Amino acid sequence: MKEIMFSLNSVWLVLGALLVILMQGGFILLEAGSTRMKNAGHIAGKTVFTFGLASIVFWAVGYGFIFGGNSNFFIGLSDFFYSGDQADGMPYSTAAFFLFQLAFAGISLTIAFGGFAERAKLSAYLVFAILFSVLVYPVVAHWIWGGGWLAEHGKQDFAGSTVVHLTGAMAAFAATILLKPRIGKFNKNGTTNNIFGHNQVYTALGVIVLWVGWFGFNGGSTFVVDDGFFGFVALNTNIAAGAGAIAALIISWMVLGKSDIPTILNGALAGLVAITASCAFVETWAAVLIGFVAGILVFYSVKFFDKLKVDDPIYALSVHGAAGVWGTLSTGLFATPELAAVGKPGLFYGGGFSQLGVQAMGVSVSALYAFAVSFILLYAMKKVMKGLRVSEEEEIIGLDVSEHGNYGYPEAFITNEEKNRIAN
Amino acid sequence: MGAFPQCFYHMGCEEMSYTTIKKWRDTELEKHDASSQALNVFHDSVMKKVFETALKKQKALHGPPPCLYSWFVMGSAGRFEQAIISDQDHGLVYEEDSESAAQYFIRLGKELADGLNEAGYPFCDGNVMSSNPVWCKSKSKWNEQLSKWLKEESFESIRFLLIFYDARVLVGEEEYIFELKQHVHDYTNQNPHFLERLLENTQHVKKAVGFFHQFLTETHGSYAGSIDLKQSGFFPYVNNIRLLALKESVNATSTLSRIEELTKLPNYQRDLSWCKGEFEKLLHYRLQYHKKMTENYDDIHYLDVKELPKDEKKDMKQILLNGQRLQDYTQAVIQGMMRK
Repeated sequence: MKEIMFSLNSVWLVLGALLVILMQGGFILLEAGSTRMKNAGHIAGKTVFTFGLASIVFWAVGYGFIFGGNSNFFIGLSDFFYSGDQADGMPYSTAAFFLFQLAFAGISLTIAFGGFAERAKLSAYLVFAILFSVLVYPVVAHWIWGGGWLAEHGKQDFAGSTVVHLTGAMAAFAATILLKPRIGKFNKNGTTNNIFGHNQVYTALGVIVLWVGWFGFNGGSTFVVDDGFFGFVALNTNIAAGAGAIAALIISWMVLGKSDIPTILNGALAGLVAITASCAFVETWAAVLIGFVAGILVFYSVKFFDKLKVDDPIYALSVHGAAGVWGTLSTGLFATPELAAVGKPGLFYGGGFSQLGVQAMGVSVSALYAFAVSFILLYAMKKVMKGLRVSEEEEIIGLDVSEHGNYGYPEAFITNEEKNRIAN
Repeated sequence: MGAFPQCFYHMGCEEMSYTTIKKWRDTELEKHDASSQALNVFHDSVMKKVFETALKKQKALHGPPPCLYSWFVMGSAGRFEQAIISDQDHGLVYEEDSESAAQYFIRLGKELADGLNEAGYPFCDGNVMSSNPVWCKSKSKWNEQLSKWLKEESFESIRFLLIFYDARVLVGEEEYIFELKQHVHDYTNQNPHFLERLLENTQHVKKAVGFFHQFLTETHGSYAGSIDLKQSGFFPYVNNIRLLALKESVNATSTLSRIEELTKLPNYQRDLSWCKGEFEKLLHYRLQYHKKMTENYDDIHYLDVKELPKDEKKDMKQILLNGQRLQDYTQAVIQGMMRK
């Protein structure tokens, strides 16, 4: 029986890893759809190579920093260049667990790159992919999941509203500040222009791929299949996403007078991000409420960053940042005594303010760390690499050509002369 | 009316050019912007001056007109509702159905369009000008064209019909336009479903007041924070009143006089009595706002609501909401008629 469970758990973890890695595909569609044609090939292609880089770095040091032994207050210090060894007493394949964790590190990095979109140099992606995967993500992940100091406080973050989403969003925030807005985003008179994405169908498809991938993200985070608890986690995940989409539709219709498609898509994602921390700790009605609030929050968050003149092309700060904070705090309100396997019940279940306090402290310290370290790293890169951003000319012709010498949509850009040459 | 340059009154004066008219228009304009009524009387007089000059040039090159004709304006000019800046919308109808007459009047139309443009009325983006054969036709060809538009019921033909329906004669034979409009009235009386088709065409309105009674302003772009006064404010009044006027065969072209005519009819007396005051306020407000900023034609459609005093904000919201109310009312009238 034990061997069967071991195998089933391992299958479940690898399946989870596959679904989470597939979310990279969701991000490719989401990001490419939300940006302009001239950058589409670049945005899609860079996701593949940065995930490759993140995989190698995670294997070399990331995994060891998070889950390694001899750990101190800050990080773990063993299992570097992980060999695939089975850890004693683990009820599933350690290699499967490794793959699952690697997939998460990759997602956090891709979220961070949302803040780079349409203006960062390719080399900036390359260098920051390594630095983030060594110095930013593993530290927060160790604190909360690797037995670090926040884990000791009983910080609840089931699948990573803080660890994965907020960490990525904070790096995106640092990047978007240092990179400055895209050309043409803000007018001299203080108004904002809408730089429309080139394909809403891609963006919507990206959201659905992410939505499905999230069953691996949250459901897989049970690690084991005992009792089929992952089914409950998946249920909470799905209804929170639905509530987020509905709330976003309603709020955009009430405030703007029309139901805005990008807002609806952001609402679904915000619901997913928010329920990520709490999906295993709350009842279904609370999951609906958490998703609903996230859908409204993301709408106002986008407006807020526009007002701050922060250019966030893929809404990473609002979807992963604002909703990540809310999701983390939500367990401090709604975690039930029966479900709170980690930490204490929330405020509405007789737990008082103690869990909410732990959540608030955890989310603030993690956000601050991720932001400050990312900012310092990017600032140093800016100095050493003579800027993070492509030249004005390169930005205008598009990163497909400036960084890769090739168009994502060649027919849309090549001259008639070239077209004729190909035809003949 | 201010003093016209002397040479205007002097037959054969060489300097009687569009540029002179433009100069005179620009200096005189502010004396005539106290009310929408005064402003539109002034616009009429400028456009008539342009016509005189155009006709004179045409006569010098191609001789006198071969037959009776009528020059009419449409759009906001037809409705006597021009703002300080307006583009040109106009057409010609003439008696004689011949190739030579067609050639004569299309030349005149071209001259008129150029002249108006030079005098400060920019070309019409939609090419609704006497220089376009669609809007410059003999009486019989006009009748044929109207029949075609009426039967076609396509998006474009309906748009053309609604534009034509605001035609108002500035120079020439007024009966020509009445006769052509009678053609439209006859058709709609026999084919009441056509009104429903027209209703569909005007149903889409850009809302400007939202769920929380807040202004729905532009969120992005250089007009962020403004409402589109043309689309959200004027269109509901202009389009719905036009539709009701068409239904009741009212010949007046300005929205205000259409309301007046409609409220003489027992059915509308009670339901539309509020309407005239609201539309007058809208005209008044637009004029006040635009005296401050008339830099380009696009500007005049947008109203920055942040700048408004509190009571005007309230007033403007009420006007916009009443526009939506008029929309609902018109829909009920047309659909109610269809059910009978």
